Amino acid sequence: MQKEYIHIILADDDEDDRLFFTDAFEELKINTKVNTFADGVALMNYLNQPDAVLPDVLFLDLNMPRKNGIECLDEIKSDEKFNDIAIAIFSTSSSEEHIEETFVRGANIYIKKPSDFATLKKVLSDVVTLNWQYHTSGLNKDNFLMRI
Amino acid sequence: MKIYIKFDFNTVCRKVLEDQLEKHKIKHRILGFGEVEILEKTETVAFSAFTAELAEYGISIIENQKTVLVQKIKDTILEMIHNPELVTVKSSVYLSEKLSHSYGYLSNLFSDVTYTSIENYIIIQKIEHAKQLMVSGQLSLTEIAFKLNYSSVAHLSTQFKNVTGITPSAFQRIINKRKEIALKK
Amino acid sequence: MKLHAFYKSPTFLKSVFVVSIFAIFFISAVTFKHINLLNNSSKWVTHSYEVNLELERLFSYLKDSETGQRGFLITKDSTFLEPYLHAKEKIDRSFKIVKSYTKDNPLQENNIRKLEFYINKRQNYLSKTLHMSLNRSLSDEQLKEKMIIGKLTMDSVRSHINEMILLEKKNLIARELSYKDTIKITPIFVYITLLITLVLISISYIRINKDLEKMQVSNNRLKLLNESSSLAEMVGNFGSWQQDITTGVFTFSDNIYRLLGCEPQSFKKGQDDFIKFVHPEDRHTFEGLTSEQIDNKNLPAFTYRVTTKDKKLRYFRTTGRIVTNKMGNDLLIGTTSDVTDEVLSSLSLEQQNLELEASNKELLAFNYVASHDLQEPLRKIQTFISRLSDKEYDKLSDNGKEYINRILSSAERMRILIDDLLQYSRANKTEKVFEKVNLNDLLENAKVDLAQSIEEKSAVIEHESLPKMTVIPFQIQQLFINLIGNSLKYSKDNVPPNIKISCQKVTATEETQIPKNTKDKFYKITFEDNGIGFEQEYAEKIFILFNRLHNKNDYAGTGIGLAICKKIVENHRGFIFAKGEPNIGATFTIYLADN
Repeated sequence: MQKEYIHIILADDDEDDRLFFTDAFEELKINTKVNTFADGVALMNYLNQPDAVLPDVLFLDLNMPRKNGIECLDEIKSDEKFNDIAIAIFSTSSSEEHIEETFVRGANIYIKKPSDFATLKKVLSDVVTLNWQYHTSGLNKDNFLMRI
Repeated sequence: MKIYIKFDFNTVCRKVLEDQLEKHKIKHRILGFGEVEILEKTETVAFSAFTAELAEYGISIIENQKTVLVQKIKDTILEMIHNPELVTVKSSVYLSEKLSHSYGYLSNLFSDVTYTSIENYIIIQKIEHAKQLMVSGQLSLTEIAFKLNYSSVAHLSTQFKNVTGITPSAFQRIINKRKEIALKK
Repeated sequence: MKLHAFYKSPTFLKSVFVVSIFAIFFISAVTFKHINLLNNSSKWVTHSYEVNLELERLFSYLKDSETGQRGFLITKDSTFLEPYLHAKEKIDRSFKIVKSYTKDNPLQENNIRKLEFYINKRQNYLSKTLHMSLNRSLSDEQLKEKMIIGKLTMDSVRSHINEMILLEKKNLIARELSYKDTIKITPIFVYITLLITLVLISISYIRINKDLEKMQVSNNRLKLLNESSSLAEMVGNFGSWQQDITTGVFTFSDNIYRLLGCEPQSFKKGQDDFIKFVHPEDRHTFEGLTSEQIDNKNLPAFTYRVTTKDKKLRYFRTTGRIVTNKMGNDLLIGTTSDVTDEVLSSLSLEQQNLELEASNKELLAFNYVASHDLQEPLRKIQTFISRLSDKEYDKLSDNGKEYINRILSSAERMRILIDDLLQYSRANKTEKVFEKVNLNDLLENAKVDLAQSIEEKSAVIEHESLPKMTVIPFQIQQLFINLIGNSLKYSKDNVPPNIKISCQKVTATEETQIPKNTKDKFYKITFEDNGIGFEQEYAEKIFILFNRLHNKNDYAGTGIGLAICKKIVENHRGFIFAKGEPNIGATFTIYLADN
């Protein structure tokens, strides 16, 4: 049976950003369940639990203590059990080379953290919606690349 | 070794569905577009076994009429995109004629269920199709633009950028680099 | 020409010498022969005279004997017999002498034989007559008869002797003639030979003289050259040395000693003496390299430290190689130069480079701080304010609303500034990945990037086909975006922007704008618009960071965009120029090196 909500995880060391993130989803009318982690290690510990509920979309900040976003990305991409997770990079940086690099490494979405709340909501909504389309309309996930 | 496969969801689903219906000895008639008419009443136990097995393939029985209609809209849109020569009228007109509902109704219904508009969905699907064609590498961007009824490459590129946030050439470059890395492994 | 060359060649002198020796030998041989000849001739003359004398003496003895016999015959006095007998002995002796003298002449021998016969005949008759007279059996008639016979015989002897004398005289004359002949040519011959020899020797003298002069000149030149090279060594702070490969002996030029702070040629010429000056830490390397120099036929240039006599630390650089001189000897020649200044300046340059690198790194780190750490709080300020204005806006007083709006716009401006600065610092980034790409694709991407703005302003962008070039794709795309974006931004109100992009391949020499006079090929890409333009006097200023021509309220901007363009073009070893005319438009020309 289909679950009736979209499961979302965010790994970001910044408390404010986590707050913005959860607030944004609360205000959106999409039925979501949001979990947050403060760094890469905590995230990977959670994901690697055998009975972990894997998210539909995983948002990764690049700059995190202990284990950064790129390291998490590489780990996730090297494990087949995470194949269904759409990975969104959620970062302040907007260097073209940097963005392309993360895509090549397997990220599906690259989000430059917006600087106002309305935009943040729109961006998150767009990401989840597009992911939903990939999920429900049988689109080829290998071709899922999005930059906002 | 890595091979690239192109498959048709409709055919696959239809085949799986037929096999399962046969297997569970359910008398039926396939109406197309994910619609099956059950001709005889089936035992509850047998039916739940059938649904359970279908679920393994990711096929679920939609009970809600709305969802059925949305699925029909999606199927029609896909058909329109893959066979643009069939569509001689505006997509809204085509959809309402094909599904015998007013476009306004279809549009509202679709947005409610899918979190996106029909127009947006059409664009997403077109871009996805363009991506598929780009990845297969058989057509140039100009040919793809023509095939998908875009007025120009620039138009396709702009729409591509609007939907994905990246340019078609960046997309192609990224996919190629990924393939290179996969080959090295 | 050939002759001249021969004259010039060293074989000439050798040939002249050999020829002269032969000539002298020849002359002495001829002279020797002639003296011999002369000697012989005088012998022959004497010989002839002696023969004649002896013949006459013989005749006189004959006459003596006859006179004696006649005296005896007449007087019967035996005292007359004595000269007869005496003459008889003398005749024999004299004859023998004559005979011996004429042994070598067959004609005279023949005559001698005849003479002998007549003399014998005469002697016989004399002795017979004498015998008969002693026996008293000689009658007057008989005597008369005998006397007549004696006279006849005597006559024949006389004529014979005369004949012999004549013959001898004839011989003498012939000999004298031939002698004279020989004597006559000899001086001419000797004279000619002498003359030729003299000529040859004169030529050689001239030649030797010339050679000497030349030698003098070249000696002078060599001296000058030595002087100037020694001067050059002093000025250039280097010295030269040679090593004879067979003996291993070193020769150092004066300046090597001076470089070491010593008097020229003040120590023994050897490696060991030199090595004493080499810095102990470098001595091992020095020995290692120089010990292989003969085997390797080459001494690769290497630098080492030396401590001069006056205890100063200097850096020397030595290099050498094997040469073969004209005599076929192998020599190792080399130079040693004092490179202290170069080494020190390169060391300081290295130090400066390190400092520069460090400061660059600091700058990069600063950029990172600017990009990331500065962005973060700003972004949060902006987000919180946006939330505030979304949720609490209605609760604020009018002043509060105004302040919120002002904060929002200031924060936004700061964000743009930081973004642009970041972009500028990225254009400065040291790692540059060049790729061969089609510039048309990059231009298309730029247009896609600006699609919204292009659409809003209904801009028309026309462009010629651009080439494929090896560039940093992201940067060139950024360049296009900035240039087109610039034209879009500074467009005239109510006039749709029209941007014309043209491209042509040019040579640096043809383009007056390129400050390079080489044949290097460049692609000249021009962006021409119909915007508000600018005063030409600002054409250079606009590329300077934070330089703005317009009030920020009229045109939003940070003054970084064109500075980024300049940076990007410089990264591609290119040039960018602007040309403007107020209310007509602006033209940006970029030159990218075609490589």
